[in-house]
Amino acid sequence: MTQSTAIELNSLTVNLERKIILSSLSFTVKKGELVAIIGPSGAGKTTLLNSLIGLNKTTKDEITISNLPLNKYKNNKHLAKKIGIIRQQFDLVGQLTVINNVLAGRLSDWGLFKSLMSLVVPQDKEIALTALKRVGLEDKIYQQTSSLSGGEQQRVALARLLVQKPEIILADEPVSSLDPARADDIISTLTRLASEENLTLFASLHSVELARKYFTRIIALRDGRVTFDLPSSEVTDELLNNLYELKEII
Amino acid sequence: MTLISRISLHRKLILTISLICAFFWSVFSVSWDKDLFNSNGANTTFLILGSLFKPNLSPEILILGVKATFITLMYASAGMLIAIVIAVIFGTLGSGVLFGNSVFGNAIATISRSFLGFIRAIHELVWAFLFVSSIGLSPYAAVFALGIPYGGILGRILADILADAPKNSILALRTSGASRLQTLFYGYLPMVSANIISYTMYRFECALRSSAIMSFIGIAGIGYQIQLSLSDLKFDEVWTFIFFLVAMAVLLDFWSIKLRESMNIPKHERKKMNWVQISQVLAVFLALTTWIYIISLDDASFFGIFTENNLLFAKKFFSSMFGIGVENPAFLDIEQWKNAISLTIETIIMGVLAIGFTAVASLLTVLLASKNVATGQLTMGNSLLTKPFFYLIRGFYIFTRSVPELVWAMLIVFIIKPGIIPGAIALALHNIGILGKLWAEVIDEMDTRPIRNLQLNGANYVQMLFYGVIPSVFPQFLSFLFYRAEVIIRTTIVVGLAGAGGLGQEFKMSMSFFDYTNVTLLLICYIVIVFVTDFLSGLSRKIVKENSAIAEP
Repeated sequence: MTQSTAIELNSLTVNLERKIILSSLSFTVKKGELVAIIGPSGAGKTTLLNSLIGLNKTTKDEITISNLPLNKYKNNKHLAKKIGIIRQQFDLVGQLTVINNVLAGRLSDWGLFKSLMSLVVPQDKEIALTALKRVGLEDKIYQQTSSLSGGEQQRVALARLLVQKPEIILADEPVSSLDPARADDIISTLTRLASEENLTLFASLHSVELARKYFTRIIALRDGRVTFDLPSSEVTDELLNNLYELKEII
Repeated sequence: MTLISRISLHRKLILTISLICAFFWSVFSVSWDKDLFNSNGANTTFLILGSLFKPNLSPEILILGVKATFITLMYASAGMLIAIVIAVIFGTLGSGVLFGNSVFGNAIATISRSFLGFIRAIHELVWAFLFVSSIGLSPYAAVFALGIPYGGILGRILADILADAPKNSILALRTSGASRLQTLFYGYLPMVSANIISYTMYRFECALRSSAIMSFIGIAGIGYQIQLSLSDLKFDEVWTFIFFLVAMAVLLDFWSIKLRESMNIPKHERKKMNWVQISQVLAVFLALTTWIYIISLDDASFFGIFTENNLLFAKKFFSSMFGIGVENPAFLDIEQWKNAISLTIETIIMGVLAIGFTAVASLLTVLLASKNVATGQLTMGNSLLTKPFFYLIRGFYIFTRSVPELVWAMLIVFIIKPGIIPGAIALALHNIGILGKLWAEVIDEMDTRPIRNLQLNGANYVQMLFYGVIPSVFPQFLSFLFYRAEVIIRTTIVVGLAGAGGLGQEFKMSMSFFDYTNVTLLLICYIVIVFVTDFLSGLSRKIVKENSAIAEP
């Protein structure tokens, strides 16, 4: 049934500055799947994610998000209802309070007046509070975001996603600047929240262990091509060795 | 969440609201009736603006302009040399890196910093007036008048930069047995030199403008030509000379950019002929020519200043300033005090108005003046329309900041009757160029990732502005505004000299009536408002700085 398709790629090719970054990628991600993208640096992971949010202009209907071709989305507000993105912690506005950063997830629903009001008196406060409780930050609501630690800032970003309520979460190396324990913590929270809300999670990761531990499916990219696309239980050490070692031979 | 921390969160908001209130207070304390303009103000405006587009480019005027520019450059370089000497001595002492954190070291640092604070509080033109009254109209009067306050400003920056230098490598030097003086040459100076040099270059550009306005005490140069042409109502010549000022500023800016670029390249990778070398040669050349020039001027022998006659004259001047042998000195007279205080309030109103005008005009233009917006990188929008605006506004900024406040004031009083408002407009015009450029660079250098993310969250243009751009740049904007406010208050006295009212106008009158005790009284009031402004600005910048890393201008 088509209803259950979240992301569909139909031979997606991306050239940047006359170099082929992604060549003819095709796969389908079903709704509610937890997919990890792994692969060596320069494999095209970030380009793939950027293409999914329309940062790399694709002319044809190569990308379909929730059964609608990407170029048919009217504007960023429309797309924001379907896709939310989380990266390293640089996506928050450090000078705003935690609650205002979380409520930025509501901006697509709010009119101008309400969004300006909210900077002085936070609006829809309950929604933000619930989200912050779920990521365990209810005691830092009014702190300036830049005063939080890296892991805490990533939780704020998670809370913003909960408020934005997209159907698909794209995560671009969400934990690459955190220590292993904190990275594990953030990924486990992210995958738990995604399963609870029945969201589709599509995350690029450096850490293969985290990908195998928390995700249901792993797609490996190398030089812009898919080298394997398997359920995480079927990903063997040999496959992984090939994925990362081959790069050095080339 | 305690109440106090919630209040502290809104401190910036409270600060902003008080600033806006101060601006409205100043707007409502001046009268804005029809009488504001000169009787034929409209005609003069057309005349002045019309000749902007057809400046006088006849060979005689151009040659005159080149000569005058050279003289202005000479005075500026001579003044900068003195300033650098003062800055190196007192800035190093004031930084506290030489004597450590002992009682003696702290005392030296405090004394040096206070000395620097005092000499920079007085505007170079006021110094010039004092020197001319005490040692007569000598080129040295202008050179020292320039060098002393510039030494104060440079010295303070040097002290701050040295004091803020990262301590790790200094500690390493100390543990390997270096003395404090050795750490200065092996640690501090190499670390801060790039910073100091680029700031000195900026100050050199300012010194050119200050040198130009030395015409007000009768020193030749580009300012003098502007003044002559103004009194003949030859506006086409005025603009020609102003374009010379603009050209000097642009050239110096270019030099400074090239030098900074070259300094960022590691030594062994630089080309054979690089800007660091060119700059060294240029600096030595300027230093030599400038002193040869000044000494070769008529009766400009340095020791000629110290003739008996001059000494007697200087002694008389200073003793009359202190009221020695003067009946009823102004600073002991209650009526004079009342007058001085009302003039002080007038001056403050002029300053606040100027700061407000500057802020509003910069806010309205700054978005279009930033590269991020012009290339559509920040908004990811259409960049076809924004590019011409970018060049237009950047050009406007360069133009307005190249013209000294005093020259703007002299031009504007042809249109608007002398008083507070033309003074404030003149101050604002010059500062829009500076603040606008500083603010635009803040937007250029901001982290765009959070803004992009807001857009992905579905924010529209205005929401991106209020949730992303404004919170990110606001602390730095305020910090720069306060820094300009200090300069503006300090310069109110100068536009007053051109008839813009306040303390400056009275100062000039008292000088020409030889009423030196009143000069003292006016200077006391002036220094008090300069210090109070510096204090308030420092306090406000501290509030703004909390939790956000901000570079000092």
